Amino acid sequence: MSENIKVTGLNVWFDKNQALKDVSITIPKNEITAVIGPSGCGKSTFIRCINRMNDLVPKCKVTGRIEVDGKDIYDADVDVVEVRKRIGMVFQKPNPFPKSIFENIAYAPRIHGKDLDPSLQGTKVTKYTKKELAELVERSLRRAALWDEVKDRMEKSAYDLSGGQQQRLCIARTMAVDPEIILFDEPCSALDPIATAKIEDLLVDLKKDYTVVIVTHNMQQAARVADRTAFFYLGELIEFGETERIFEKPEQKLTEQYITGRMG
Amino acid sequence: MRRRTKERLFFMLFRGCAWAVGLALLIIVGYIVVLGIGVISWEFLTEFPRRGFTEGGIFPAIVGTLYLMALVMVIAVPIGVLTAVYISEYQGKSRFAGALRVAVNNLAGVPSIVYGLLGLGMLVFYLNWGFSLLASAMTLAFLVLPLVITASREAIQAVPSSLREASLALGTTKWQTIRHHVLPYSTPGILTGIILSLSRAAGETAPILLTGVVLTKTILPQDVWDTFMAMPFQLYALATRTVFEKTADFQYGTALVLLIMVVLMNLAAIVIRNRYREKYKW
Ligand SMILES: Nc1ncnc2c1ncn2[C@@H]1O[C@H](COP(=O)(O)OP(=O)(O)O)[C@@H](O)[C@H]1O
Ligand SMILES: [Mg+2]
Repeated sequence: MSENIKVTGLNVWFDKNQALKDVSITIPKNEITAVIGPSGCGKSTFIRCINRMNDLVPKCKVTGRIEVDGKDIYDADVDVVEVRKRIGMVFQKPNPFPKSIFENIAYAPRIHGKDLDPSLQGTKVTKYTKKELAELVERSLRRAALWDEVKDRMEKSAYDLSGGQQQRLCIARTMAVDPEIILFDEPCSALDPIATAKIEDLLVDLKKDYTVVIVTHNMQQAARVADRTAFFYLGELIEFGETERIFEKPEQKLTEQYITGRMG
Repeated sequence: MRRRTKERLFFMLFRGCAWAVGLALLIIVGYIVVLGIGVISWEFLTEFPRRGFTEGGIFPAIVGTLYLMALVMVIAVPIGVLTAVYISEYQGKSRFAGALRVAVNNLAGVPSIVYGLLGLGMLVFYLNWGFSLLASAMTLAFLVLPLVITASREAIQAVPSSLREASLALGTTKWQTIRHHVLPYSTPGILTGIILSLSRAAGETAPILLTGVVLTKTILPQDVWDTFMAMPFQLYALATRTVFEKTADFQYGTALVLLIMVVLMNLAAIVIRNRYREKYKW
């Protein structure tokens, strides 16, 4: 296993409320890591630190280190915009733009151009040609297993799609930026079982190319898709290990209580 | 039983009030339409007034009001929208933004004559702009700025934060997110606010009365430093003359044209709102 994200001593406060307490965890490359725990335990807060989404919350304070490929993304010389290009995020509620299906995917690549090399810092941007852009959109949609369902209505509004399709559109949109890590925050909580199954299949397929971190409140889902599982409780990382081990032989009492459903 | 009766009673009361309001509006509008419609003709719309506003038309007053609206728009819209963007998107912890918000909320309640005095003292005399189209437009811009800011802010804040997050998570900058998402999605609301604000400005008399409007002028304004004629003031001036009966036709005609202009602007606002409500329903 090669490490991809190394978190050390992460603390997060929202004003005076401490949401994460001294979390240290190493997330391996090209694997799926699930984050589970009762609601309010800090799962979203945790993954939103990895792409610095919490920067947007006014009274949020973050301490500790999050190294991605050896570089602390909270260092002063790091451009947060570059961080978010490398680390994509899919949200709980599908949030496509109120634009066409094509535009949803094409938007970010058109903005960023072809130079996704962070050392250039967006100074030298080559634009995609129309044809390249269309190819990129198709590739992203295929990768998200959505192409066949939408190829005849690329100019239609993304809002005409079903919830599950919208969520796969959001996944395709994230992949079009070519990130190396994708964070999912309960991506299936608004979806029906069939749509959920499709996303789960997709997740398993994605780990060939991406490191995946997924928050889920659904333990069966964690058991089905994740290589490793992290259990959070009241802002602390209680236990982290291979999914099978966590579910079959949890070392911590709290973990056992949670996965056996004996926790309120 | 008693509760039911009470319920009925209050319902009737509410309905009565609604009817009374509707009726009052109908009477006022109906009165102006009935008395003004016969006055309006091609000549009335395209000619200068003659013989002390008993012949000819109100062309220069219409043009003056349109010039004024155009200038107010040019001044108030960019400032208003940018301020709204600043308050709602960049506010952060800034004290200044908080103070600005309070100021904007309270400015909306300041009587228009006060703006007129401000324009007279500051623009006409202190800055030495003289009685001019520009001084009047600037004064009216001050007056409608709070309205433009408030409407824009509401439209901007109606854009769900999930869309901002979606954009930022793709590695766009804050400004790109505002320019490509927040502003386009809130444009219908902002436009509606702008049109309603302008229609408010179109009918104002006090601010222009003190800063640049005149009753008669033989040519159209040549530049922004020139004085101008305008419909609401013409109406006011003719109606308050001692011999107001002689110009009654002109007054009703002017009132009707002004009314039509304002109604059209409000209709445009409604159309825009409905058209886009479909497009951006989150
Ligand atoms: N934007 C925010 N502002 C203030 N407090 C927040 C914010 N987001 C999360 N919190 C707090 O942080 C804690 C963890 O929340 P969260 O990470 O959303 O939990 P989870 O995703 O596990 O349900 C909660 O106590 C919550 O109230
Ligand atoms: Mg959450």
